[in-house]
Amino acid sequence: MTAAAYGPPAPTPPTVVAPPRAVPNRARRWRRNLTFDKISLFVVFLGLPLALYVTFVVSPLIQAVSYSFTDWSGFSPNFKPVGLANYLKILSDDTFVKAMRNNTLLAVIVPLIIIVLSLALATMVTVGGASTGQIRGIRAAGFYRVISFFPYAVPAIITGIMWNLIFDPSSGLVNGVLTRMGFSNFKSFPWLGSVRTAMPTMMFVIVWGFVGFYMVLFIAAIKGIPAEIFEAARIDGAGRLRTAWSITIPLIRENVQTAYIYLGIMAIDAFVYAQALNPQGGPENSTLTMSQELLSTAFQKGQFGVACAMGVVMGLMTLLFAGIVFTINRVTGGKDRITLA
Amino acid sequence: MENTSFGRRTLLTGSLAAAALVPLASCATGGGTSSGAGSSAAASSADNPFGMASSGTIDAVIFNGGYKTDYVDFAGTQLTKKFPGVTVKVSPSTQIAQELQPRFVGGNPPDIVDNSGAQQIGMSTIVDQLEDLTSVLNANNYEGKKIADSVFASAIKASGTFNGKLAAMNYAMTVYAYWYSASLFKANNWTPPKTWAEALDLGAKAKAAGKYLLLFGKEAATYYLTTLIASAIMEGGDDVRKNFENLKPDCYSQQSVVDSFKGLEAIIKAGYMKPGGSGTQFTAAQSQWSNAQEALLYPSGGWIENEMKSQTKADFQMTGINEFTVTSSPKMPASSLHAEAGEPFIVPSKGKNVAGGKEVLRAMLSKDAATNFASTRLALTVVKGAAPAESAMSTALKSQSDLLSKAGNNTFSWQFISYYGLNKENLVVMNSFLEGQMSADDARKGLQGIVNKAAADTSKPKLQVS
Repeated sequence: MTAAAYGPPAPTPPTVVAPPRAVPNRARRWRRNLTFDKISLFVVFLGLPLALYVTFVVSPLIQAVSYSFTDWSGFSPNFKPVGLANYLKILSDDTFVKAMRNNTLLAVIVPLIIIVLSLALATMVTVGGASTGQIRGIRAAGFYRVISFFPYAVPAIITGIMWNLIFDPSSGLVNGVLTRMGFSNFKSFPWLGSVRTAMPTMMFVIVWGFVGFYMVLFIAAIKGIPAEIFEAARIDGAGRLRTAWSITIPLIRENVQTAYIYLGIMAIDAFVYAQALNPQGGPENSTLTMSQELLSTAFQKGQFGVACAMGVVMGLMTLLFAGIVFTINRVTGGKDRITLA
Repeated sequence: MENTSFGRRTLLTGSLAAAALVPLASCATGGGTSSGAGSSAAASSADNPFGMASSGTIDAVIFNGGYKTDYVDFAGTQLTKKFPGVTVKVSPSTQIAQELQPRFVGGNPPDIVDNSGAQQIGMSTIVDQLEDLTSVLNANNYEGKKIADSVFASAIKASGTFNGKLAAMNYAMTVYAYWYSASLFKANNWTPPKTWAEALDLGAKAKAAGKYLLLFGKEAATYYLTTLIASAIMEGGDDVRKNFENLKPDCYSQQSVVDSFKGLEAIIKAGYMKPGGSGTQFTAAQSQWSNAQEALLYPSGGWIENEMKSQTKADFQMTGINEFTVTSSPKMPASSLHAEAGEPFIVPSKGKNVAGGKEVLRAMLSKDAATNFASTRLALTVVKGAAPAESAMSTALKSQSDLLSKAGNNTFSWQFISYYGLNKENLVVMNSFLEGQMSADDARKGLQGIVNKAAADTSKPKLQVS
């Protein structure tokens, strides 16, 4: 992943000297070398995955889209086309619109928090250490790395169940600690059952679960930056914040973008966390996600056509999210790629 | 500064976009066509009323929940004794809808299904593909008595009839009640209340003893809606029930409904409902009642004893009482009871051995199998007189049995919430109401909105109840 951040790794054609690192005769060379070895490589590493991808991703996807224009109940082989009725139905349905809003909120806030936090942590354990001598992280950096990766090693559903118990109004750890500290109005306070706190609580749990992973991702990216650059910045008198803002972030920009998009995909789904913390959708549906609504529409209400339409909307929202992230990155200067070669 | 050919980066961008589409794939399934049609063909006789073939297997998919599945194995053994060439293959499942959805679509459903549990298939979706089970009621059981006469036929019909067709045969008899600890009540000299007003009085005594009157858990907040509707039906008579079943636009504005909601609201306002329920997992909440005894009463179906078995205080003496009425002289007799036949068994018409599916039901509804169920599961079946011996019954089971015999023919139940799948939406409103964040009037308005939405949905055939 880090390689992508600096552009394609320099190819090693011995004779090419053209100024831009282009490879003019690549195509010709390619055809000449089409050996059995190469073909078998393509079959195994390109054909097979592609076949699997078409069978298990593309074809169900097309099916889902086509079912979304029918009134299929899901339990009989019969259905008839209904045009856009399913889409009109879900977009005028208060509950689904509410779920869309919740997912949008998640997609805006959760990736931002996770990335800021994990970037800060990654900077600290890699380059945030003593300001003399070799560039290094804070003391016991390895220990913190392991510790903060732990939550990611716990399956999401376990994370959800665990925090559900920690936030339990009567016997949970949070209220226990708060009331012991003298905040008596937290006695029996329903963190996951009150409209104002349910969503932030869920966001907190998601952030807790993901920060460690993205920290490790960013550590790998930062380690790819030559230490000399940081040393040079230090000699020029740049502080830690300035170094992070002007050196680290621009150099790992593409990693941040990728992380943002993965987190967005996760936030627009968020099924496991929502289902573990508030399977019924939370107070006033404040933590209801589209995926939860999709599940109950399909299997409990027996409206697979409508459920497929919900799936399509989810997919489109994810695409839109990715598009927005790409655009923002480009507009804010992501196109002026910095290469280190 | 850089040449722009189709590079790795563009490829990466493309694959990211593709990855973004993955959630789309989440709801796709194949939709094959089917042949169906039963293969069995034997002449029907009094001994073989459904004309089951003399050899073969019967494919049974049974919900593996609180009752497990071996009671069906037992019935299968009885069946094999009578028809030596036939065996029953029982497959346990906890995800009925997910597991059977492709089989219904593909036209090869099992011969008999126990369509129960949280993942049950909504009846409105499959009712057209199910056999009418009236023929089972009309057949004789293995003792030679007509089944219709040896079971709680009215409860079976009330819970299993969909637009005139008996599509589900419910096997277990569930009594809805308020449950309390007889030992705790005795020690404190409390008497179980009969009306909402008496309940409010008891709430004051509970508070004096440092306890709450009631509590709830977030996934089970609608247990209170169940008890409110039951209270309203007892108070206002059977018309109240019919208005709900027919999704009338003013069903939650009926006077007896308004009064019941007011009754519960007074208890919540007085602070006798334990706060925090909307954030508490329901079994955790229930153990605060059965183990920590932080509240006196809990409304639930008769499964509560089994569910909380490992988390009930020693010598709790769980006992059930009728749900509260609004006044002391309700329209229906005060002993009338919300009792429902549960565990719906269905026989899909496209199964390979439809007659076999019905034959399994016939075996289950015979005395041996029913007695086996009652004495091993400690729960009642719809078969009359198959209750376990008095000495083998727990206090909770005994009170179910007593409530049921006192009610006689005055039992009632309703289908609209499960039929239209409204429970999930109702939960949202009930959680806010029970937590005290919503007034009774707003709660009724919210619940009415859910009913109105179901009524306006033209994609589903409506239940007609008269």
